[in-house]
Amino acid sequence: MTFRHNQLAVAIAGVVVAAVGCVVIARLEFSNLRAAFETDARIVHRLLSQRTAQHDAVMAMLVLLQPDNHAAHPEQRIPSVYPQILNVQQRKVESTWPDAALRSAEDESRHNRRAAVASVDFANGRYQLVQAAILNSYAAQIDLRGMVPWEEWPMPRETSPVRVLLQYNGQQFVLQPGHGHRGWWQFDFRKRLAADSQPFVVVAVRNVGGADLPWIKMLGWTLLTAAALAALLALERQRAKRRRAEELLRLGQVARLNTLGELAAGMAHELNQPLTALLANTQAARRLLDDDPPELDTAREAMQRAAEQARRAADVVGRLRRIVERPDVAGQLQPVSLEAAVGNALYLLEPELQRLAVKPAVNSAAVSVLAEPVALEQIIHNLLINALQALAQVPVGERKLILAMTAANHKGVLTVRDSGPGIAADVLPRLFEPFFTTREGGLGLGLSLCESLAAGMGGALTAAAHMPRGAAFTLQLPLVPSA
Amino acid sequence: MNSPLSPLIHLIDDDTAVRDGLALLIGTVGLRVQTWANPQEFMAQFDRDSIGAIVLDVRMPGISGLAVLDQLITEGVDQPVIILTGHGTVELCRRAFKSGAAEFLEKPVDDQQLLDALQAAVQQHVRSRERNRDDRDARQRYAQLSEREREVLGLIVAGLTNKEIGRALDVSPRTVETHRANLFAKLDAKSLAQLILRYAALVEDPV
Repeated sequence: MTFRHNQLAVAIAGVVVAAVGCVVIARLEFSNLRAAFETDARIVHRLLSQRTAQHDAVMAMLVLLQPDNHAAHPEQRIPSVYPQILNVQQRKVESTWPDAALRSAEDESRHNRRAAVASVDFANGRYQLVQAAILNSYAAQIDLRGMVPWEEWPMPRETSPVRVLLQYNGQQFVLQPGHGHRGWWQFDFRKRLAADSQPFVVVAVRNVGGADLPWIKMLGWTLLTAAALAALLALERQRAKRRRAEELLRLGQVARLNTLGELAAGMAHELNQPLTALLANTQAARRLLDDDPPELDTAREAMQRAAEQARRAADVVGRLRRIVERPDVAGQLQPVSLEAAVGNALYLLEPELQRLAVKPAVNSAAVSVLAEPVALEQIIHNLLINALQALAQVPVGERKLILAMTAANHKGVLTVRDSGPGIAADVLPRLFEPFFTTREGGLGLGLSLCESLAAGMGGALTAAAHMPRGAAFTLQLPLVPSA
Repeated sequence: MNSPLSPLIHLIDDDTAVRDGLALLIGTVGLRVQTWANPQEFMAQFDRDSIGAIVLDVRMPGISGLAVLDQLITEGVDQPVIILTGHGTVELCRRAFKSGAAEFLEKPVDDQQLLDALQAAVQQHVRSRERNRDDRDARQRYAQLSEREREVLGLIVAGLTNKEIGRALDVSPRTVETHRANLFAKLDAKSLAQLILRYAALVEDPV
């Protein structure tokens, strides 16, 4: 699967995750709103039911407390205790209600043995409650708005989106207007008050629309998803970049080896021809001189030709030397962070480090040296490769790789120490010679090249034994002169 | 000192100095050398009947020494071929021998090694030419035999005595004796052993 396919897949997955998340958030919010609405509506129902039950109790009490003393009128004091009861009328045993509605309500009350409503006038927010009794009957005028215990009301009356009203026989009285906007969904609550005497129905309605959705949470979730997505893609891109870098590095090494192989083959042919002629001529000359009598003239000619061929071989070597002359790195020096260069080299070799279970101990320091960045990285890379190859020869537990950076005497110094088998004493002086190698199949050019590069940048590369065992390579480069 | 009948070495190398040097060296042991700078020219012109050997450089412009070797073998050239190379890999060596090279030497080549190889190659060539001549001779003589003589020869090769041959062919031992004498005369055989050695292979179907 290519990176581009990956990108598309991740993008699609991201959109799906964001959408599903938003739906879940919306549903959660929706059910929260519904629960809150139902709780509020139940509280409203309970409060109003309590009030109507209270009215029943007041009326029943009035009947029970009827004094013998007709002059005392306890009903007159009721409105001062219950503000929603505007007034209470009394019908004496001997008299009749002037109002037919009250009469019929009293009949109903008598029949049902409880209070009954009369002249329900929701338009004006009034109704009357009539209680029949054997002696005097009573009728109370009740104010709907006054009977609501606003101090216990569960919602802010002016701003709540819930519309609350009472219904009775086609009439309705709005207790709370509800700042309802048009909505996509509607919550609905409808329940008769608990007191049978005042069978009003509490209705609560709430519209839920786009404005009620948790847009901020949804936006947050979407952004979070997008961020995670971007991070994933960035990680993927970084991984791809790294793979590419490793690939390039490997290719570069192969290409270099190929070039060297070609060079060696060409050099072998170019040198072999004159050497073959030279050898053939000298050996022929010796044979001619051995003849009896010696063929001096031919032998002399053969020696002359041998000399010419020796010169030809020397020319080949000279030409080769000019071809592979040291690259001039001195002209491209720039300030380079030694720390960053080491980090980079370690980063590139991380798979190799993991494979060998080597944890490099890096003693970092902010050292800025004058160097050609690619050459510096090549040197560090080579030193690390050498160290790792040495460490591969010792047991895992004994593998130590220590890198240290210091600045001293106008020089930035990097030391790479390993706990590998070390360098034999007789090998040490020849370590930086071209084509000198201790490795099977090695070209013997790595360290030689590194030394040339270091010298070309005005620095030096040296090797020493690392105690108790292993090798220590020290790279010195000029520090960036402080301004 | 080089007589026209002495073996002729063909030396093919595009490098003049190498050519001259090797030619001089080979000449010191009395072998005649003909040098060629161009493989195509060599293929077109060299004397295929001469006794000798061919020394071939692998790396030449235009055509590789191995390709020349293949061409020589395809054409049935019987001179042994010695391959010279500056870059002797195992693979190259294997291919050379598989193609029929007599020897494979690395440049710069040591005189003794080259001259020994050449001597061996020349001897091998002379022997193979002689063997070919003998084969041709034997075939001609065999062709002169009569039907009955061939039958007798077949039975002799099979190891039967005169008496047994007579019984097998239903003739008298004396007649067998006569055929036998004729056989030895016609085939120019000095002994029974020589007769069998030379002609056993030609007897098609001993009874």
